[in-house]
Parts: sequence; C-alpha cells; structure tokens
Amino acid sequence: MPSNKELSAALDIEGTVPIHSVQLDAMVVLKIVKHCRESIPATVTGQLMGLDVNGVLEVTHSFPMPKNNQDSEDDASNYQVQMMRCLREVNVDDNSVGWYQSTNMGNFMNQSLIEHQFEFQQALSKSVLIIHDVARSSMGNINLRALRLTPAFMKLYKEKKFTTEALTKAKLTFSNIFEELPITIRNTALLTALLYELETADESVEVSTSHLTTYKSTASAPANKSVLAPSFDVLDLSLDPYVAKNLENLMDTIDDHHQEQGNYAYWQRSVERENKKKAAYLLNRKTENARRTASGQTALADEDVDAMFKAPAEPSRLDHLLISGQIDNYCKQINEFAGPTLGKLFAVGELQK
Amino acid sequence: MDNSSTLHLALPAVHTAASATAPPSLAQPRAFSTSVNPLVFFSILDHYLRRNAGQDRVIGTLLGVRSEDGSEVEIKGCYPVPHLETEDQVEVDMEYHRTMFELHKQVNPKEVIVGWYATGAALNSYSALIHDFYQKEVSSFHAVHLTMDTALTNERLGVKTYISAPVGITSKADNCMFIPIPCDVKYFKAERAGLELLANAKSTESGSTTLLSDMDNLEQSVIEVQKMLERVSEYVDSVLAGTVPANNTVGRYLMDTVSVVPKVDAAEFEKMFNSHLQDLLMVIYLANMTRTQLAVAKRLEKLM
Repeated sequence: MPSNKELSAALDIEGTVPIHSVQLDAMVVLKIVKHCRESIPATVTGQLMGLDVNGVLEVTHSFPMPKNNQDSEDDASNYQVQMMRCLREVNVDDNSVGWYQSTNMGNFMNQSLIEHQFEFQQALSKSVLIIHDVARSSMGNINLRALRLTPAFMKLYKEKKFTTEALTKAKLTFSNIFEELPITIRNTALLTALLYELETADESVEVSTSHLTTYKSTASAPANKSVLAPSFDVLDLSLDPYVAKNLENLMDTIDDHHQEQGNYAYWQRSVERENKKKAAYLLNRKTENARRTASGQTALADEDVDAMFKAPAEPSRLDHLLISGQIDNYCKQINEFAGPTLGKLFAVGELQK
Repeated sequence: MDNSSTLHLALPAVHTAASATAPPSLAQPRAFSTSVNPLVFFSILDHYLRRNAGQDRVIGTLLGVRSEDGSEVEIKGCYPVPHLETEDQVEVDMEYHRTMFELHKQVNPKEVIVGWYATGAALNSYSALIHDFYQKEVSSFHAVHLTMDTALTNERLGVKTYISAPVGITSKADNCMFIPIPCDVKYFKAERAGLELLANAKSTESGSTTLLSDMDNLEQSVIEVQKMLERVSEYVDSVLAGTVPANNTVGRYLMDTVSVVPKVDAAEFEKMFNSHLQDLLMVIYLANMTRTQLAVAKRLEKLM
C-alpha cells in the first residue's frame, strides 16, 4: 500500500504535473471503434473516464453520447449524469477525463470542436480529446490521436482576440493549436488470457459446441481458423477511393481558405480607404486652418479625427488558423498514406517478375 | 446429456447430441445460434475485475439484435447489473437494469435485451431464477445465457452460451435445463485491426503496446506473408523430397492460390505500374507543395 505522500504525489491534487501521455484500456479502444463504426457517416461523440496518475492519463472506461442535435443542453447532461451514477454503482471510475469524437478523413478542425474542447479543458485541466478516424481505420490500422489545446491557444481563446498582432505576440500558428500526446494501450492479465485463447485454433471438432467456436473464414482454409488469423486488409492496393476523397476535401478547404483571404484583403482595403480619407481630411483641415490664419480668423478646433474615421475591426483570424491547420492535416494524411502505398506498389512489381 | 425418453424438451433443433431425441418437425427448422462481439468479452472481464470484495459472481445484461424468426442472435453489447447472492437468496437490481437499458436505447435504438451473462462456470438454481426473470424481459423469444469461466478451470476461459427449456413435471421457475447452443465470434473489419493490435500486447511484459503507424503495420503484415510463404515452400520442398506424404487437397489448394496471381503481359504491367506510380507521385508532390506554402506563410506571419 503506497504511503500517503506517494499516493498524493501520484494523484497530483494540485494539478501541477502536466500530462505527457495517454494510456487507454483495451476495452476503451474497442468500444470507441465499435461506436464510431456503427454510426458512419455521422460523427459521434462520447465521454471518457479514468484517472491521471503521475502525468499519465489512464482512461479506463467510455460511453457513447446520444447524437440527437435537437436536444437541449439539459438532456445531454441529464444522460451523462444518469450514466455516471449507474456506472459508479458497479465500481467504474466515474471521473471524467475527456471525450472522443469520430471523424471522417480527418476533417475535425472546426469551431464547434474547439469550443467544446476549450470548455472541457477549462473545467478539467487534465482532459484529453481522442479523435478516431473511421475512414483510415478501414485500411487495416487503427487510427487514434490524443489531442489537447496548447496553453497559449487557451489564453488567446479566452480573450477572444484573434488579431494578427495578438497571434504574432503569442507566437501562435496553425501547428500550435493542438498538442498531440502519445497513446499506449494496456491489457489486463485476464484479457491477455482471453487473447491467447481467441488465437489458438479450436481443437475439438466434435459436435459438442460448448467451447468458444472459431470464426469461420469464407476461404475455409485447412490452416488455422482462429479468430486472430492474420488478415491482410492492409495489403489492399486500391488507390482511388481514399486519395480521391482526400483531394476533394483538400480542394474544398482551399476554397474556404481563399474565401478567408478574400475577406482579409477586403478588410485591409477598407482600412486603407479609411486611412486615406482620414489623411485627406487632415490635409483639408490644415489647408483650411492655414487659410483662416492667413485671413485672420481663428483656427478651427481640432476635432477628434479618430472618432470620425473609425477603422473597421479586424476580422477574427481564428478561422484562418483552423483552415490552415485542416489543410496541413489533409496534406499530412496524403503523405502518410503514400508511404505504405509506394511500398506495396513496388512489392507487387517484384512479384510480377 | 441424458437422452432419456421421459424428458420433454420444448426446444428448437440445436447442434447437440440431445437433438437426436427431438423430432425434426419440431419448432424452427433452422438451428438456434449466437454470435458475439469480442467487446462483450472484454466488458465482462472488466466488470469481473471491478467486482466488490466478497462477490464471487457478477452478472449483467446482454444487448443485441436478432434475426426475424428469432433463430439467429447477435450479441453486440452488454452492461453490468449489481446483484447480491447469499446462501438462501439472490437479489438483482431490476431498477438499475431498466434505467441502464433506457440510457442505452438513447444511443442505440436498435439494440434489444437478448439475455444475460454471468462469470463463473457453475449453473445453479439461482441461475435458473435469474434466467426466468430475463426470459420475462425478452418475452416471445428465448433468452440467451452466456457464462464466462473466469476461474480458469481447465486453463481455459471457457465461454458457453445456453438457452433454457422447462423440464420436469411442474413448470416452476427453477425447473429448467440449460441447453448449450453454438456461439461464434463476429466483428467489423476495423475491430479486427484493433484486436490484432491488442494481441501484440500480449507478448510484452506489462501487457501494453503503442499504436503503430501505417508503415509499421504494413511492415508487420509483409513479414507475416513472408513467413507464410516460407512455411509453404518448406512444405512443398519436403513433399518433393519425399519426407512428408503428399496431400492432394493441400496441393490443389496451393495451386489455386498461386494461380490467383494475375498473369499480366509484361508491357501492360509496366504501363499500369507506371501510371499508378505517376498518379501517386503527382498527388504527393502537390500535397507537399501546399504544405510548404503554408509553412512559408506561417514564417512570414511570425515576422510581421
């Protein structure tokens, strides 16, 4: 039994130790995958529960949230409260540590996600957002990312001032919005036993079906028929669906980016116009004043020039940040996809010889 | 399984030796079978680990979907239900069961209660009582009972699924016999990738593993394929050398497999290969150019 001092250090009550990695229970991984997969193409969310120990955020349980959009805030929080209460009765850690969201092709960087994550992180400093990409996971490898908003971004979001100079002062660019944490997956001992059992082929071929029967593969190979027999989805060569969709999304985002640029340019032009008008007015005043002093009249009072020529406020650059981040994400995805695909292509080339 | 002729079994035809006595014209012609999502096993184990001190068994509800005629049941999810078992009585928190079901229905309106699970291999009269309760919940169809042997008797995590049938003269609640039914494991393709990842962890010391990047995953698969090819070629060599007796089925199967590799004319293949490669390279080039552009913009913004 660890001493009180050790335990309190591990539990980090003051919240001083920053989280540096995330540890998911095996069950949580499967639950997230199952829930996201059942609801494509809609994006769904859910809550994560667990504990943070020594800078590692351990996630031990998760449950999906109902995805009706028309529901008021109350219904969703009601569901959550009820769910947590029920789970507490069966000794599940009812400490909320984050939430997860499914996404398709990596298009998750939008305002609502940032807002939700911001509120979450405000309330609980030790929280994490897990993104599961359903489309990429169908190619033989699970895609999970653990993200948090950087402190610099949180500060700026609180003030809601996204002017260019604020951004440069905080040194905030689109790559600084999220910080990514490494994920490890943990299996309990019983689970390990289960995995071994699923893997070994079923020896008893007799009629009694009291054992766990194996997954019947369609090829009915005489080789092992176990549940974990290797699958080769990852060796699929088709290029088009994934890359084409990615490129479509990329083009859409670039269109948005273009629009953003247009807005910004428009603002700049209007500021220029205002400034010119102000300068012209001042010049006018000066000549007027000079004329009047020359003719012996009193100079006109200096009016508040700034109040007359109010420059329009700079549009928020948050969208620009998000869009750039999204574009970057898509390009990275294409790169990551291309690596293995080139390998596969050349392998097939060799096979042909 | 006792095939005494005095037993009156009202059951659909199942794949056990007991069905020899049941006339083939009885009930549904198709076998009653279940398929389970591996997530259910994981949840059961997790619940078992979290049980209160002193509890030997834990139970919970199984959710799933069933086919139209009720003969195929697919168990997709589950949730634990607190219960108390003493020497002379058993209590199940029905209120909790109902509440959880309502909550779950909000997320998955299609899933219905299909049965219940318990850890521990023993089936006693309490099981019969609980099963009766669940049978009432499931109404017109048979409730499925799944047991998972967490005590690891016979060094197996034996999983058995049963339905119950009334037996004996009076139809009291605990007069029933549990009949085992076949059980499959079914999952999505993406879950399969997850399972493989988890399976990687079982060989490490602490039972933990990190996520693999796509490249690493590909590498692993390629190594697997290489190993398989090695095994096959070893087998073929030994058959040719005469050390291993030749098996016609295996030989034919191997021939089929090898002939699946498409035989494309070399020039054609070159063309296809090159065009595919060019497409991919062009896309990579454009993507990288976009990224570089963004990076340059980022630097410029910083300078401003």
